[in-house]
Amino acid sequence: MSKKKMTYYPGCSSQGSGRHLDESIRAILPDLGVDIVDIDDWNCCGASVGNIGGGPLPNLALTGRNLAKAQEEGNQDIVTGCAACYLNTHGGNEKIKEDVKKRKQINEALAEADLSYDEDLDVHHVMEVIVNDIGMEKVEELSTNKLKGLKVAGWVGCQTVRPFAETETGGKYATYEDPTFLDEITEAVGAEVTDFAPKTNCCGGSVAVMKPEKTLHLMKTILDAAVESGADVVSTPCPLCQTNLEMYQDAINKEYGTDYNMPVVFPSQLIAVAMGKDKEKDAGLQRQTIRSQKLEDMAK
Amino acid sequence: MTAPIPTSKRKYDLNFARWVRDNVAGGDKMNMCMQCGTCSGSCPIGTEMEDGPRKLFMMIRAGMKEEVLSSNSMWECTSCYRCVVRCPRGVPVTYLMQGLAALAAKEGYAPKVENNYFSKFFWMSASKLGKTDERLVPTAYYFSFGFVEGIKRSLANLKIALNMFKAGRMHIGMPHKIRDTKGLQAILAKAREIEDRS
Ligand code: SF4
Ligand code: SF4
Repeated sequence: MSKKKMTYYPGCSSQGSGRHLDESIRAILPDLGVDIVDIDDWNCCGASVGNIGGGPLPNLALTGRNLAKAQEEGNQDIVTGCAACYLNTHGGNEKIKEDVKKRKQINEALAEADLSYDEDLDVHHVMEVIVNDIGMEKVEELSTNKLKGLKVAGWVGCQTVRPFAETETGGKYATYEDPTFLDEITEAVGAEVTDFAPKTNCCGGSVAVMKPEKTLHLMKTILDAAVESGADVVSTPCPLCQTNLEMYQDAINKEYGTDYNMPVVFPSQLIAVAMGKDKEKDAGLQRQTIRSQKLEDMAK
Repeated sequence: MTAPIPTSKRKYDLNFARWVRDNVAGGDKMNMCMQCGTCSGSCPIGTEMEDGPRKLFMMIRAGMKEEVLSSNSMWECTSCYRCVVRCPRGVPVTYLMQGLAALAAKEGYAPKVENNYFSKFFWMSASKLGKTDERLVPTAYYFSFGFVEGIKRSLANLKIALNMFKAGRMHIGMPHKIRDTKGLQAILAKAREIEDRS
């Protein structure tokens, strides 16, 4: 396969809570055949509350600016690793593409900063790129440092697959109710898939950040199932899922008298370790607040 | 021009139903709802909602403006999109929940709702800096409950913050921001102006 070039949208979490997602994506994509270049001076996507806080059109204008800046890079495809960034950027892009009036309004706003968006770019989630463009065979082939014996519960969460993964423009790469790509990645890196049912359960998202007490039970359900399945780690593609499930385990233990200490990692970190990449610089394993000794022992 | 929201004090005002249909994004699809309850039954946080999406849509159709706009339901929504992909009638439930929350905030029905504060601070960070500062948003939000509550909530999260800091996932110093904050602010101001006039 000749190398693909895509424009990369890191998103706000890449500079904070989700640094290890960003670092591991950057570490693996070029070897897997996708060269990336960042959107220059990218801005926040608006996440799930931008619509309420700023109103629909200003919120869409955030995406409009990112698309205009991405257009300047000259690639057809944009890729992002963050679920919320994907949801807003892909959803907003499709809206602008199909609604002439919306595009006119957005361009009128963009003109204030001498920008315009007049192409029809495509926005992808990095999981979609791994499934559709790279392929599991390639992941398996490059996974020379197999994660033998590591038991992984694959937790997809919400916005990575809902509401777009089954749609044509979303790449038709997974189902809403029973997505299998995380387990396929686990197998490709030589680890073991555990029998984990709540794979598309919600952690509470930004409500968990605002009012954790209302969503602890959601995260407990996920942890209960992961522990019961015998998992060493939970693997999730979503930065908010990763942070929520990791940082609220203390609160859950306090509330429910449990003693959970379950590491939550990104599939891109597992791939980085399996590709024999540096465990800190590339896989970002030191960024876990709950660390997996078993995984770290396998890493280079 | 967006039509002004009906102000009748009647408990059931069908003008409100029509208004939502015509002015909230996706509102035209609400007529497709057949009250099957799949959305509310699938909702991970339905137990925290006073009404849930199914009931809320029926209340809108009945024109119960006060009850709808003061409901906590849309503010509890986590945007998990389970209702959207499962609705057999193609109702864009999540988008409607967000639209109704925005409407309630605009009409002054939700000043005390926590998610409303959070959305406001989030937007402040995103629109002024171009980036969300994961420290500023929660902190400003905690202190919106008053000083004592702010300290209490911040302390409750201190251990989390320390852990995140140690792992290099939270930084000290100035918030991240984009280079062209001026350009972004001009774009957003224009977008607001266009939205208000159309
Ligand atoms: S799932 Fe759809 S049709 Fe059923 S109650 Fe909810 S909105 Fe109405
Ligand atoms: S998107 Fe909101 S309303 Fe729909 S199921 Fe999820 S939490 Fe409930």
